[in-house]
Amino acid sequence: MSKRQVFLGLISAAVLVASSYAAIAQDKIKIGFLPGVVDPFYQVMEIGVEAAAKELGLDVVIQVPPTWGVEIQTPILDAMIARGDLDYLITAPTDKDQMIGPLQVAVDAGIKVITVDTFLGDGDYVSGPVKFPISYIGSDNVEGGRISARGLAKAINGKGRVYINSTNPNVSSVEGRAVGFNEVMDNEYPDIEVVGLDFNLDDMNTAVQQTAAVLQREADLAGVFGTNVFSAQGAGTAVVNAGLGGQVQVVAYDATQFAIEQLREGVVSLVLAQKPFDMGYMAVQFAAADAAGVTSLPRRVETGFAIINADNVDDPAYARFIYQVPN
Amino acid sequence: MANRASETKAATVTADPYPAQTPAQRFVLVLSRVWAWVFLALLIIIFVIAVPISSGGSVNFVTLRNSQNILVAIIPVLLLGLGQTFVIIGAGIDLSVGWVMSFASVLSALAIRAAFNSGVPLFFSAVAGLLAAVAGASIVGLFNGVIIAKLKVPAFIVTLGSSFIVRGIALLMSENTTVIGLPRGIRSYGNDSLMYFIRGEGGGLYFITRPEVSGEMLRRTDGILPYPVLLTAFVVAIAVFVLHKTQFGRHTFAIGGGLEAALRTGIPVPRHIIKLYVLSASTAGIAGFLSTLRFTAGSAVIGDPLLLSSIAAVIIGGVSLFGGAGTVMGTVIGALIIAVLTTGLVMLNVAAFWQFIVVGAVVIIAVLIDQSRDLIVGHYKSEQPP
Repeated sequence: MSKRQVFLGLISAAVLVASSYAAIAQDKIKIGFLPGVVDPFYQVMEIGVEAAAKELGLDVVIQVPPTWGVEIQTPILDAMIARGDLDYLITAPTDKDQMIGPLQVAVDAGIKVITVDTFLGDGDYVSGPVKFPISYIGSDNVEGGRISARGLAKAINGKGRVYINSTNPNVSSVEGRAVGFNEVMDNEYPDIEVVGLDFNLDDMNTAVQQTAAVLQREADLAGVFGTNVFSAQGAGTAVVNAGLGGQVQVVAYDATQFAIEQLREGVVSLVLAQKPFDMGYMAVQFAAADAAGVTSLPRRVETGFAIINADNVDDPAYARFIYQVPN
Repeated sequence: MANRASETKAATVTADPYPAQTPAQRFVLVLSRVWAWVFLALLIIIFVIAVPISSGGSVNFVTLRNSQNILVAIIPVLLLGLGQTFVIIGAGIDLSVGWVMSFASVLSALAIRAAFNSGVPLFFSAVAGLLAAVAGASIVGLFNGVIIAKLKVPAFIVTLGSSFIVRGIALLMSENTTVIGLPRGIRSYGNDSLMYFIRGEGGGLYFITRPEVSGEMLRRTDGILPYPVLLTAFVVAIAVFVLHKTQFGRHTFAIGGGLEAALRTGIPVPRHIIKLYVLSASTAGIAGFLSTLRFTAGSAVIGDPLLLSSIAAVIIGGVSLFGGAGTVMGTVIGALIIAVLTTGLVMLNVAAFWQFIVVGAVVIIAVLIDQSRDLIVGHYKSEQPP
């Protein structure tokens, strides 16, 4: 073998190595994660996203909107699209109708969308009005509302007046919870009356005020259903402030540490833990699977709940679903 | 003629507000006029350099798509800020604009839906939405203006109060939800562009209709001049003309420069103040209409987070909170600075919350520069003849 041949051989080997590296670099997908707002629920989801990305060796770009709302989420979304290097976007749309247009822009730019926690349209990506997302991964919120209703009904012995505090209209997740809750109360508990539904617009102070006012208005109020982190924490706070802790039962959607504290104090009788870690982790895996050519991903995945009450709160099998946020 | 006299006097007030300058004073003056532009340029330069570095070269700040993005991103803040520019130059303040925008968004969605469902063609349904938004908003502006100008209640209080009223009405009218059921074509009006450009192989420039492409060509397709940007640019052009080229603009500066003097020169002050608040509400109404197009739905909470950003844009743009000074283009720059920051930080993958810290600092710097100008050069109010 002449020197010249060796030299050529080396060069072609180098080219081969370089091109295979380039191929790897090109195949490695990049994922954007855009949740709804800063709160413990989405923080746990973010931990799930990061865990899966680390295991799969993928890059994630994470941006968290400071407040809930389409005017806040959309500019951040647009900037993520403008990066031009994202292949997938995992997001929780802040409105099931208004975010269709902005997320269509992402799809038009070649980014595939997976929705977590909240969905677009009616959440049926197979035959519903919105079909472009790969999947919805989240809780069956109507079922969550039903579970909450039964838990609250049991805590108040099947009779009395109850009140719902929720965050924003037209958000698929909390809307479903109220629907399921009302359905069960109407059909299964004739002696329970739902006396109102207020929107705190994702502000805990407003949730406290609204619940306090309802406690004034309905002297014999038996229970409150808080449909998410802010609603439940606000409702719990108002009940405690009114000196009615234990008298008025609160069912809290979302297992924040604050809700668990209140559970231990007897203010909250039931905490419905969603599985945000699962949502984040699975969404990243779905993206990786789709990129690898998997075509049979389910279009809707329900991650289920853990129902935490005073009896099982110290059982590790349940306690692991409490939203643990690193400080 | 009293009117003519007032006009010339108002014109002299604005034409040369800072007579007799030393070179140092002139430098401060020039700096105070251009610093926002300089800051914007610096910001862009920082992002142009930092974004590719942080992403290992895969992301660039200056792209066609990003430029269009930023133009779209400034729309709500800019439109709320435009009317506010007039109001603040006239030494007032309008705290209701964010909620007027929400109100107008609901009104326009209801109007578009009603018109379309009763057989009106798509385009004219959209026009009906625009008219409903601007008309509804103007009523709020009229309410604000009359109470401020005729009943002499401070603008701060009146517009704070009306913001609550309007917010309540909007939530009630929308029946606690997002107003949906708009025709699909509305989404095109709110999100499509005048032109499309496909980079690279098989590419080219397309007009009006989005080219049908798929696969990786999607990534190479960018819209140029989205329709909402065109409408906003048109409104900005009108605002520039009205503020800087008409008697209406001169009167606005005169009233902000000194109410007593403006009254003495015969300007119909109360009437003019009413017009300022109607104008402010109208641009907020257009913002509400455009958000309805963009999100294909009306929302009673859409403008909630925007008031403070819009006032920040106006102040960064050099409008004096004491009235009497400012430009429309300044507000455009202020809105651009905020939008460039948001976009740039996201592209850098820095938490969006930093935006608040930077915007806050820039607002304070803007006011400091405004004040130091007055300290060094002297505020022109004191230069006015008695």
